[in-house]
Amino acid sequence: MISDRVASNLKAEFRRNLLPKIGLVVLTAILLMALFAPVLATHNPNTTGYFDDGTSYPPMGTTAESYEVVDGERQSIEVEPSSEHLLGTNNVGQDVFSRLLYGARTSLLVGTLGTGIAVIMGVPFGLISGYFGGRIDDAMMRVADVMLAFPSLVLALALVGVFGSMTVSIPDPFVAAGLAEGMPSSTPLPGTVTLVVGLVTWVWFARVARGEAMAIRNEEYVTAARSLGASDATILFKHVLPNSLTPVIVLATIQVASVILLESSLSFLGFSGTTLSWGYEIQQGQEYLRQNWWISTIPGVGIVLAVISINLLGDWLRDSLDPNIEGEGGGAA
Amino acid sequence: MTTDILRVDGLSTRFFTEQGQVNAVSDLDLRIERGEVFGIVGESGSGKSVTARSVIDLIESPGRITDGEIWFNDDGLAEAVADDHPEAVDGSFVNLLEVPERVRRSLRGTSFSMIFQDPESSFNPSLTVGEQIAEAVEVQRRASANPRSTRAKTREYSLGSLVLSTVLPSRKYVSEASRERAIELLELVGIPDPVERADEYPHEYSGGMLQRAMIAQALAGEPDVLVADEPTTALDVTIQAQVLDLLDDLQEETGMTILLITHNLGVVARMCDRVGVMYAGEIVERGTLEDVFDDHVHPYTEGLLGSIPDLEGPTARRAADDRAEKPRGGGRLEPIPGNVPSLLDREMGDRCYFADRCPKAMEDCLSHPPEYDGAGSEEHEVRCVLATREYTEARALPTDYFGKADRAAADKHADPDGTETDVQPERAESTVEGTGGERR
Amino acid sequence: MAFGKFLLKRSLQGILVVWGVVTVLFGLRAITPGDPVNLIVDPAVDLETRERIRQELGLDEPIYVQYGDYLGDLLVGDLGYSYQSSRPVATMVIERVPATLELAIAATIVALVIAIPLGVISGTRRNEPADYGATSFSLVGISTPNFWLGIMLILLLAVEFNIFPTGRRPVAFHDALWTFLTTFYVGDLLTWLHHIALPAVTLGTYFTALITRLTRSGMLDEYGKPYVTATEAKGIPETLIRYKHVLRNTMIPIITVLGLQLGTLIGGAVVTETVFSWPGLGLRLITAINNLDWPLIQGIIVFVGISYVIINIGVDAIYATLNPRVLDE
Repeated sequence: MISDRVASNLKAEFRRNLLPKIGLVVLTAILLMALFAPVLATHNPNTTGYFDDGTSYPPMGTTAESYEVVDGERQSIEVEPSSEHLLGTNNVGQDVFSRLLYGARTSLLVGTLGTGIAVIMGVPFGLISGYFGGRIDDAMMRVADVMLAFPSLVLALALVGVFGSMTVSIPDPFVAAGLAEGMPSSTPLPGTVTLVVGLVTWVWFARVARGEAMAIRNEEYVTAARSLGASDATILFKHVLPNSLTPVIVLATIQVASVILLESSLSFLGFSGTTLSWGYEIQQGQEYLRQNWWISTIPGVGIVLAVISINLLGDWLRDSLDPNIEGEGGGAA
Repeated sequence: MTTDILRVDGLSTRFFTEQGQVNAVSDLDLRIERGEVFGIVGESGSGKSVTARSVIDLIESPGRITDGEIWFNDDGLAEAVADDHPEAVDGSFVNLLEVPERVRRSLRGTSFSMIFQDPESSFNPSLTVGEQIAEAVEVQRRASANPRSTRAKTREYSLGSLVLSTVLPSRKYVSEASRERAIELLELVGIPDPVERADEYPHEYSGGMLQRAMIAQALAGEPDVLVADEPTTALDVTIQAQVLDLLDDLQEETGMTILLITHNLGVVARMCDRVGVMYAGEIVERGTLEDVFDDHVHPYTEGLLGSIPDLEGPTARRAADDRAEKPRGGGRLEPIPGNVPSLLDREMGDRCYFADRCPKAMEDCLSHPPEYDGAGSEEHEVRCVLATREYTEARALPTDYFGKADRAAADKHADPDGTETDVQPERAESTVEGTGGERR
Repeated sequence: MAFGKFLLKRSLQGILVVWGVVTVLFGLRAITPGDPVNLIVDPAVDLETRERIRQELGLDEPIYVQYGDYLGDLLVGDLGYSYQSSRPVATMVIERVPATLELAIAATIVALVIAIPLGVISGTRRNEPADYGATSFSLVGISTPNFWLGIMLILLLAVEFNIFPTGRRPVAFHDALWTFLTTFYVGDLLTWLHHIALPAVTLGTYFTALITRLTRSGMLDEYGKPYVTATEAKGIPETLIRYKHVLRNTMIPIITVLGLQLGTLIGGAVVTETVFSWPGLGLRLITAINNLDWPLIQGIIVFVGISYVIINIGVDAIYATLNPRVLDE
């Protein structure tokens, strides 16, 4: 599937450019943070009430303005950062740094699982549509057009609204193994959101797979295989599918980034089902922008770094594999 | 007495690629007379296309003309640049490499124009053929409406005018008169229904029609020198003859000079007055048609001729070698064993570059040969020691002197999974041709 | 001739797509758990009243009858009544259209005005500082969630420096324009501009970045094509080559991509409207979903679907005029 030439192309592009290296380093760091969140976190991300006086701690190196009621009068006070909270606390006194780590888990889980669902739905659909062509293709493409006519965010909102959040609790191995005292014993995965992002983005994979199938369908070796009596299923699996994998891989990479953005938008709008999400955190902080700027700002930096690093790797794959992908993928900021 | 229109001295064009420096053209001399058809012939990757593009300043990054002089004979131009660039002027000749790019650009279309190999990819797919030819006419119209000295400046067309032209037809670059002339030109090259055809898009033309249209476009500027880069390679055999006839007729009518680039000796035999055989960025043998066809010295020329099975008539010959191999451009001259050498600077030794493929390679070939006078006409020159001494077995190099890989490369066409040493030169070659433009 | 046929075919496909959208929505509504009557009246009301409401809404009919009724109503433009406010859904949709349209158009203008020049500069000066600047900008632009960008803009330009308002839409564009045309009072227009600036930039950034990226890579591809060299050989001015030939051909595929990305624009509008309390369709949709107000949800999404289809037919038409090969296929 991945020939030596492709591999050496990948290596050459990687060596030549700085950007994929940055992408790889940043993404690896985020992956490690997400994976070892229970070990790295300084506090349980869900524990509230670390504040004594109704104020939130600012991140290290900054101070914040707040108010205190003294003798029935509001007085301006200055809040110093607490050495216990690396990136400060949020409006309910939760540790921002710990929530950032756990938020990475949600983003990456939803991003990869959601994209996986989209691949599983979209690729077979597109391959069948493109391979058989004719009426089958026409009918299937109309279905895809219908999907495209729904803005993915809008459809996702409607679906989550209908089905609720269906949170799935994934047990945390570190806590189970006793390596992380006091951390939540499971990570909530927003089930509907994961399914929904897959449901609303599969059509991009279908389009790419269809294009590849149409191109390969008429290749001579496929015609030859057919004349030798190979069944359509065999041809699809043995010839068409492997050949369409390159553009699918590139698209999937870019789609993980889009899905992370989509998930954060859904959480921001209050449709996620977990509070351990960067988007949710940003929404929480919006009201406190005037006093506690960091609550919204820091998780956003997390999203941007994650998405940029994935996009950098996606660009690298695209440049070295050079598939024909029309435009960009879904994208739902 | 004929006069030279173009003199190229010591031209070197190099491509600075990631694999290294590629010497596509090295220290090349060339003299083209006014009104003649000069042919450059050679295999793909021999640097012939790059030579043509160097002459008309169409070399693109990562390529660069690193050395040499290109003297163009034009009284008006000489007069116009004499004041600002006296060093670039010699009588009525102007060294194009010493004048600013602006001046060189101003010669495009009106002094030099070019016909490309693949007509289908050489037209903009989303503009009508008539419009594209009319643009070329407009270049000529605007140039002749202005004296040479100010031509370069008036050639510019601002972005503002372009934006305005979307609402004000009078600000359009292409005038109505040019459109009409474009239709005349289409008629001249034998396009039926030129009025309707002018409004059609390139994809509505057949390949042969489109090549005619490209010739019309090249003629629009009434150029002094027409560079035809493999003008018939992409066409069907029957169409090839028609296009060559057309070029022939037009050349006779207008008296323009043609620099014809081809790998097809049949085309050379039919069209050219004089010819240069190129190999590895150099002209290895040059002279009149008779010199090259009948009195050739260089084993490479011999090999090229040997690859044509039938020498009776150009048409038969062309048909023959078209039948021989269609799929690969480089495959046409298959009977010469081995490949065009890598033009990577570090891999080019100080020897005759053909020695590794040459059936008559001798010890003398291990130093780079100069150009010797050939046996034919005064014009006949050849870059081979055989011009001065006979081939003797005693001095011959052992068959495996250049290593097994080089010789074994003769079998390469039957062996798609080339060894590492085979891949290397091919990659360099494709880099050159990629920028040089012989895309297939 | 060919063009008319092309448009007809596209329109028929479009109608099919709209029907698909309507049907999917109807299906979603049908499988929504819970009794819609509870959304209209207090759950405590007596059974008789409930039954009456049920009949009024046609909920007692078999599902296919409901579906037929719904399609019939749609055909005559009847979108039903909101569960929540009992107002006609058609009115509730239409009254919110101008705000969203203003926002979308303003964002598109921002995107085109910035992105095309940026893409051209980037594509013609490859590997120069300007190119690095433009590519970095576009990378960050496509990677930034627009709600966060909006909040950051508010934090910086509204909270810290107080240059722009934090949101809301005190005056509609058509009203402001009318005031200006009748009384030559420009104040309303300026107020409108002042309020829409941050939302438009917020919504437009992703598209600016996307178009910059596409223009850059498109121009680089296009410059590598043989026809550009052939055009250069003709001797026509550089400006003409760059814009009439290269940029034009670059934009042809980009137009299609933008048509497909319209969904992203609408999704982005929902989020942007939320951040800036911009009273458009998106904000209304969020409320409707939170209340499971199905007639309103359906009304808004069907409207969006129809707009999407119509705009894409327009995009295809533009594409077909610019790229003559389409009609022949």
